[in-house]
Amino acid sequence: MQSRASLSTPRITPWLFASPALLLLGLFLIAPFVLALVLSFTDQRLVTSDQLPTEFVGLRNYERLWEDESFWAALQNNLWFAAWVVPLQSALALGLAVLVNQKLTLSRVFRSIYFMPVAVTMSVVAVIWSLLYAPDAGLINRFLQLISAGAFQPVDWLRDPQWVLPAILLLSIWQGVGFQMLIFLAGLQSINPDLYEAANLDNASAWQQFLYITLPLLKSSIVFVLITTTIYAFQLYTQVQVISSSGTSAPIDSMRTIVMLMVHEGFKSGKIGYASAISVVFFLIVFTISMLQRFVLKDKAAA
Amino acid sequence: MRFFKSLISLALLSSLNVYAQNATKVSVWVHAGPGPEANAYAESVKLFNQQNKDIQIELAKLPEGTYNDQVNAAALSKKLPCLLDFDGPNVYNFAWSGKIVPLDSFPELAALKSELLPSILKQGTYNGKLYSLGQYDSGLAIWGNRALLTKAGVRIPSDLKSAWNLKEFEAALQKLKASGVAQPLDMKFNYGVGEWFTYGFSPILQSFGGDLIDRTTYKNTKGFINSDASVKALSTLQSWAKSGYVNPSTKDDGDFIKGKSALSYVGHWVYQDYKKALGNDLVLIPMPAFGSKAVTGAGSWNFGISSDCKAPKAAAQVLSFLMSESEISRVTQANGAMPATKKALAASTKYRSGGDLAIYVQQATQGVSVVRPETPAYPVITAAFAEAVNNVMAGQDVKKELDKAAKKIDQNIQDNRGFPAPK
Repeated sequence: MQSRASLSTPRITPWLFASPALLLLGLFLIAPFVLALVLSFTDQRLVTSDQLPTEFVGLRNYERLWEDESFWAALQNNLWFAAWVVPLQSALALGLAVLVNQKLTLSRVFRSIYFMPVAVTMSVVAVIWSLLYAPDAGLINRFLQLISAGAFQPVDWLRDPQWVLPAILLLSIWQGVGFQMLIFLAGLQSINPDLYEAANLDNASAWQQFLYITLPLLKSSIVFVLITTTIYAFQLYTQVQVISSSGTSAPIDSMRTIVMLMVHEGFKSGKIGYASAISVVFFLIVFTISMLQRFVLKDKAAA
Repeated sequence: MRFFKSLISLALLSSLNVYAQNATKVSVWVHAGPGPEANAYAESVKLFNQQNKDIQIELAKLPEGTYNDQVNAAALSKKLPCLLDFDGPNVYNFAWSGKIVPLDSFPELAALKSELLPSILKQGTYNGKLYSLGQYDSGLAIWGNRALLTKAGVRIPSDLKSAWNLKEFEAALQKLKASGVAQPLDMKFNYGVGEWFTYGFSPILQSFGGDLIDRTTYKNTKGFINSDASVKALSTLQSWAKSGYVNPSTKDDGDFIKGKSALSYVGHWVYQDYKKALGNDLVLIPMPAFGSKAVTGAGSWNFGISSDCKAPKAAAQVLSFLMSESEISRVTQANGAMPATKKALAASTKYRSGGDLAIYVQQATQGVSVVRPETPAYPVITAAFAEAVNNVMAGQDVKKELDKAAKKIDQNIQDNRGFPAPK
């Protein structure tokens, strides 16, 4: 009897401990998602009207989504961005982390320099870079002209449908790479230096050491960085929104991301129901991709 | 530390101030326009609060770029202020959905009806009731730099009868370009994708014979926004960018002031800045007749009282104060807009015949100005049209972009069952 009682008492305790977190998760994550799911089957308007109460419209929003060019364009932009930013930013962050992990006199200074952009608000970064990218007086065009001895013709980077996403990619990596670098750096510093010493005794080259000691021991950092960068990449919004709203932009479908489309449909056009349908589909896509990623990476880790 | 102390004492003082008087609070939202205009609102509020002990205005100035979004979000959460301003036709959606109340039942406001300029009365009326009052009407024409125009040998029209036609206008652009003006025409593309695109460029559509929507039924845009005339209008605009007459990628508000442009296609609100920079070289040129007739925009920011307001009578008192001759003069002197009451207009030296801004009055009284569509569908119309203009200026196919806009707007009108009028 006594043992049963002692088993049943702690059953409440974990729930009690978890309850604040569960409450907040429920309130701010689960409830809004369920709400979005429900709203996605309605014609909910942003400014609700006494004339036309909100009604269920079945699958109409999803059918519209299927036919919406802007949605497919936005999805394509997101996928393109993620496909480039995840490998590039992660590899660059790892490279920087290895560099600033050297025991050199100035390595602390470099660490701070590489991390600095992370501390700058993204909207500020976007404004500064949009000036750098300017077609006439922008630093980037001027620099390219200088090093090509005038052969380079200035490009209107942010208004050219071919260049706008690569331009945004570059500024995003510049801003964000310091954060992943820091995670890798923490991972690197937790690797026991004895391992490298032993490898040195065995005459292993620096590259071999990186391949067979550093990489395997960084596995968990790498998994974390890849998954979070992917999710960040799909949430791409601030820099694109700032760039598209300062002056005219490239054709909007060549740069608009899903989150941006959601905001435009929901807040500019007032179609909350439709925007909810976008958010539900978007959630499913991101969820599938991160699950897939987790599955693949976990598999590798086990092997 | 000292900063915090003073902050705390300031907060205490201001709260004491309000509670001591036990006054009715009226929250007011205005868009924070260009410098002098925002200051004028602050001064009006200060004066009202001094004069009235029983009503105190709490003013919030919100950034113009995202003003509509913020108002929408506030409407959704039922946190609209008592009194707020709307950019032009955005007011109809709020009137239709019952978020603002008719003003006819407030005697001091209803009395203003006979005083108002017809365009402002029309702008404020929806479904036969007065929903909003504007302190001023806008003026849209072309500012010119007399020195640069004369140097290039361009004729400067001085009244509506002598307005340029398309051929003459394009010849002028060419002459200016040849005379060394980098981008002859400034069209304020730096304002970004938003209300300016619709306000500024839909008159070009109308001049060519197109329009945003069927103005008889307000039920469909197909065959209007994407008509041949509308396509021709935006193609012409696109061709100006291709020929280097207009710089669509400009981020600089000062192209005209710096002499990079000799013509500036923009509204009244730049008047003070331009006058300061150019002095007597500044000329106001009437809107050209791009197509068969000259057309310009009309309507401007206007105030409504929200249905969330707990003290509508006090709000009406505030609004009637803002519509007094002296307050209208204050704000219009700051922003150069056309005073919206006959009395205030007559008192304005700038708008008298021979005044710097007399062209605006001629355009408004001689049937050149066209108000933006008076329909609750306006927010969708303006969003879709502005997006189309942006894409066209980036070189996309005009017909395709306008077809897309038409489809998007018409779908929305159908989804709302044609926006049935409130009973």
